[in-house]
Amino acid sequence: MAHADTTHAPPAHEASAHPPAHEEETNTGISHRKLLMWVFLGSDCLFFGSLIATYMVYRGQSIVGPYPIDIIDVPITTISTFVLLMSSFTMVMAVAAARNGNQKRLIQWLVCTIVLGGGFIGFQVYEFNLFRVEGLRYETNLFSSTFFTLTGFHGAHVTLGIFWLICLAVISARNPAGRPSGEDVDIAGLYWHFVDIVWIVIFTLLYLIGGFDAGPDVGHAAAQGWQWITGIIT
Amino acid sequence: MSSNPGHEGALPHEEHGAHEDAGIGRFFFGRVPAGVHGGLKQYGLLAIFLAIITLVEFLIIVPEGLQGSSVVIAPLVILSVIKFFCVVAFFMHLKFESPLLWQIFVAGLALGLVVALSLVLLFGVFRPTPRAFSENRQAPFEHHAEEKPHYEALVVPTPCPVGACPTPGGNVPAPTGSHPGQALFVGVGGCSACHTIDGVAQGILGPPLNGIGSAAANRLPGYSAEEYIRESILEPDAHAAGTADGLSQDYDGNLMLSTMAGILPALSDEDIENLVDYLLTLQ
Repeated sequence: MAHADTTHAPPAHEASAHPPAHEEETNTGISHRKLLMWVFLGSDCLFFGSLIATYMVYRGQSIVGPYPIDIIDVPITTISTFVLLMSSFTMVMAVAAARNGNQKRLIQWLVCTIVLGGGFIGFQVYEFNLFRVEGLRYETNLFSSTFFTLTGFHGAHVTLGIFWLICLAVISARNPAGRPSGEDVDIAGLYWHFVDIVWIVIFTLLYLIGGFDAGPDVGHAAAQGWQWITGIIT
Repeated sequence: MSSNPGHEGALPHEEHGAHEDAGIGRFFFGRVPAGVHGGLKQYGLLAIFLAIITLVEFLIIVPEGLQGSSVVIAPLVILSVIKFFCVVAFFMHLKFESPLLWQIFVAGLALGLVVALSLVLLFGVFRPTPRAFSENRQAPFEHHAEEKPHYEALVVPTPCPVGACPTPGGNVPAPTGSHPGQALFVGVGGCSACHTIDGVAQGILGPPLNGIGSAAANRLPGYSAEEYIRESILEPDAHAAGTADGLSQDYDGNLMLSTMAGILPALSDEDIENLVDYLLTLQ
């Protein structure tokens, strides 16, 4: 499986330590579905990269409040970050259970992941609602528009992942002898972990670093960073 | 878990026992053949490690002096990069996969980083104008938990799109009993979207009109204030205000022409007279 030799690609099961019997032979040695998932995740990096960059560009540009420092709650979000991180752990355990063919454990770990993912979404709904009550709506200022767009798309990814995992859990519960295969769970796991790493970036940039931004004040860290970069360039 | 292959509800596609449980050291740091996977030990250890990093990240910004400080940026970024790659390498199994998958993912990641960096450089470093714009236009924010937040009333005038100024919604409303010309100025005339009159309008795209009633008389020899103002409205480029009058700013002539061309047909002769009359009152 580790060979990318297209001319003499060995049958997948020869190179693999755990050959899924149904897997078709591919000239990369990697199953098409898994390859496609990685290509998708690579492209999703671009998607979130653009949204994060947009947030950073408009950082400190809002001319009316509330500003991040008025409204961002870092301790609460640290807890929700921890919850999402732990869901990655339960997800990888679910993948291991599926690979071992342990259907019961698979369902248990999937349910844990779904609950933790739901918990994360719960935190996000709470946060969004709090912001709305405090007067930060989508159209209030540049901060709110870029913040809600970025975290909203991330939340949508998590929600989609939860539905995906629910489907896997239901399928395993109803059909113990058949699907989902180890690879089915593996691919869902890749998606889930990706959503987690996106949040790692968002948490650092929007909360830990950007959570203390005030209004259009050049004194904040980003502006100092720009000056520093400009100093190097010029 | 992986050291204890399944015994309940086995999946037919998987061959049990075909993969080994790499030791912890080998799993994280060693070279392991494809197909080796971790179990509860390895993944649990990694989860604890990631949780500790998250806790450290939080503790870094607990001291108030460090909140929003540029000193913490580097450690926070380094810690999250470590978290990021731990998840990718171990939870996503990329350490144990074909190099092709690494290349695909890193290509996407690198492209994303380049796009992000380009955007930030373009708008944040090489074109600092928006920041200066914000500084000049900032409005204070204060918390009012119970009452309706006052910043909702503080809507900033919308710069008019090229072609036509919309009816401005956010300017200071005309006081009751004001001059009909003033109502036009802040209302359907749309003038206030671009011009400033203290206490009346806050436009910034065109020259401010404070005291224009007296200033206009001295703008051009041979012109009365009334003639000057009327002609400036009807033929916006006839006496372009700007540098000659000691104003600190140049104005966009093309924007002015196209904007005024969009406004003028909507104004009747009477409207024009009302506007001129009103502007003359500004001393």
